[in-house]
Amino acid sequence: MHANNSQDPRRPEKVQRYKPPPSGGPMEDPTPDYMNLLGMIFSMCGLLLKMKWCAWTAVYCSFISFANSRSSEDTKQMLSSFMLSISAVVMSYLQNPQPMPLPF
Amino acid sequence: MNFLPLVVALLCLVATTSAQASNRHGADLDDNDFAEFEEFDEEEPSAGDAGVKDADGDDNAAFEEAAPVHDTEAADDDEAMVEDEDEFEYLNDEEEFEGFDKDSKPINKGGKPEKTPDLKITNIPGHLRTNWDSFYLEMLMLAGLGVYFLNFLAGKTKNHKIAQAWLAAHKGLLEEHFTIVGDDGSTKEVQQGVLMKESEHLYSLWCSGRTLCDGMLIEMKLLKRQDLIQTISRIFKPALDQIVIKVVMDENAMAPFVMALGLKKTIAKVHRELNDLSIFCKDQKQGKNYGLPEKYRVLSEINDTTMSVIDQKVQCAIQKFDGIVDYMHFSDQFSGPKVSTEDGEATKMPDTKKVLIFSFNLTDKIVNNPEEMKGLQELLKMVFHCVDKMKRVSLTQDGKMKSMKNRKAVEEQFSKMTHLQRAEAAQLRREEKRREDKERMMNEDDPEKQRKWEERTERRDKKKSQSKMKMMKVKAM
Repeated sequence: MHANNSQDPRRPEKVQRYKPPPSGGPMEDPTPDYMNLLGMIFSMCGLLLKMKWCAWTAVYCSFISFANSRSSEDTKQMLSSFMLSISAVVMSYLQNPQPMPLPF
Repeated sequence: MNFLPLVVALLCLVATTSAQASNRHGADLDDNDFAEFEEFDEEEPSAGDAGVKDADGDDNAAFEEAAPVHDTEAADDDEAMVEDEDEFEYLNDEEEFEGFDKDSKPINKGGKPEKTPDLKITNIPGHLRTNWDSFYLEMLMLAGLGVYFLNFLAGKTKNHKIAQAWLAAHKGLLEEHFTIVGDDGSTKEVQQGVLMKESEHLYSLWCSGRTLCDGMLIEMKLLKRQDLIQTISRIFKPALDQIVIKVVMDENAMAPFVMALGLKKTIAKVHRELNDLSIFCKDQKQGKNYGLPEKYRVLSEINDTTMSVIDQKVQCAIQKFDGIVDYMHFSDQFSGPKVSTEDGEATKMPDTKKVLIFSFNLTDKIVNNPEEMKGLQELLKMVFHCVDKMKRVSLTQDGKMKSMKNRKAVEEQFSKMTHLQRAEAAQLRREEKRREDKERMMNEDDPEKQRKWEERTERRDKKKSQSKMKMMKVKAM
C-alpha cells in the first residue's frame, strides 16, 4: 500500500504557507451567531418586560454561543453578550425579588 | 294573732339584707372610716386616690380585688405617677391652656388596662421571608448552568484528546511525505507540529512541501461534545466524528475530470450541494459496478477514468474500512458549495481548484482505542496512493473530447446567464456618463459652449432615432 518507497516525495522548495479560509463562508457553523442574536433578544425581553425566564434563557444562550464559538472570533462580543444576559437576571431580581413563577 | 312573730321575723330579715346590700364589698363598717366612700371610689377610680391610699399603707381589700394583676407594678409606679401629676398639673389649668387637653385621649389613670383595640396583624408577604425553598426554579437554572459548564470542560478535554491521538498515530507517516507538518501561517518563520484549534470541536493541520501537490489540509470535524444540547440531541440523531483530508493538487498534476464515490446518503448530499458535482456528474451509479460494497454510490463524469482511478488498492481499502470511508471526491473544477447570492445568480465564474477530498468517519471503537487509531494509517496511505496515481491517470481521446465539451458548455451557459446582467451594467454606465457630461456643461460659464453642446446632443439623439426607424422599415418590408 505504500505510495512511494523508492523515492522521497518531500520537496522543501514547494513549501506553501497556510492561508486561513475567508471567514463567513457558507460551510461555517451558524450556531454561535444565532445563539448570540437569540441571547440578545431574550436579554432585552428580560430587561424591558421583566420576564425572568427570558433573562435565564439569555444566560443559557450566551453559554451555548460561547461553547460553539470559533477561536478566531472576537471575544469582546462574547463578553458583552454574557454581561447583558447576567445584568438582565440581576436587574429582574432587584426589581422583583419574588421567585420565578412556573411558566404554566 | 298567729302572724305577729312571723311578721317580726320577716322585718328582721329585710333589715339585714338591706344592710348587706349597702355594703356590697363586705367592708367592715365598724373598723373602716372610709368604707362609706367605697362605692364612689369604684365609680371614679383615679390614680391619685389609689396612689394616695396605697402610699398610706391602707390595705384596701376592695381595690386589691378590682386590680389583682397590676398590684405589684402599680405599687412600683404609683409614687412616680404622683410626682408626674404634680409636675404637669399646670397643663390642666384651663385658663393657661385653652382646649389643650380636649382632643387628646384621656390618660389611663389608675394603671388599669383599657380595653386594647382590635389590631389585625397581617401576614408578612412571602418574598420578605428568606425562604430558599421557594426559589427552586432558580436553583434548577443554576444547577443546569453548572452541569452545562462541567460537560463543556469534559467534552472539550475529550475532543482535544481525540485530535492529539490521531496526530500521534499519523505524525510519523505525515513527516515521511511532507517537508512541513503543522504550520499555522501566523508567524514569519515556518512552524512545525502546530495543531490549529478552530473551535472546541474543529481542529486542523496543514502539511506542505510534497511532490504533485501544493498542500494538504486535514480537518478534524469532531462531535460537539462540549455542548450539552448537542450531546443530548445525539441520543436521537447519532453522528460520528469525521476526518476530512483535502489535497490541493499542482496545476498540471491532474487530468480534467470530476468524480466522487461514497456512502449512499453522503453522495446524495454532496451531489445536491457541491457546484462541480451537480454540474458535471449527471446520475449516481451503483458501487457494485466498480467493485465497491453495496452501500456505496459513484458519481462520474468520464466513466473510463473513474474505472481506472478506483483500482484494486482503492477497492481493497474501501472494503476493509467499509463504512469508515465516508466519501472521496476528485475534481479539477472544485469551487465549493453552491453560492446563492441575493439575485439568485452568480455574477462571475467561481474560482476553481484541482483537489482531492477524502472524508473518513471515526466510530466510537476507533475513538476510544489508540490501537485502532493506528490502524487508520492505511487510509492515509491510500490518500498518498491516489495523489501519486493522479499523475498517471490520463484521459482517452474520447474522454478528452467529452471533458472539453462539458467545460465549454458550462462556460457558455454561464456567459448566457450573465449576459443580461452585463448589458444592464453597461447601460447604467452609459447613463451615468451622460449625466456627468450634462452636469459639466450646466456648470460652464460660456453660453455659446452650452448652446453648441445642446445642438450636438440633439443631433446625436435624432440620428439614433432615425437609424432605429430605418431598421424598423427594413423589418417591415
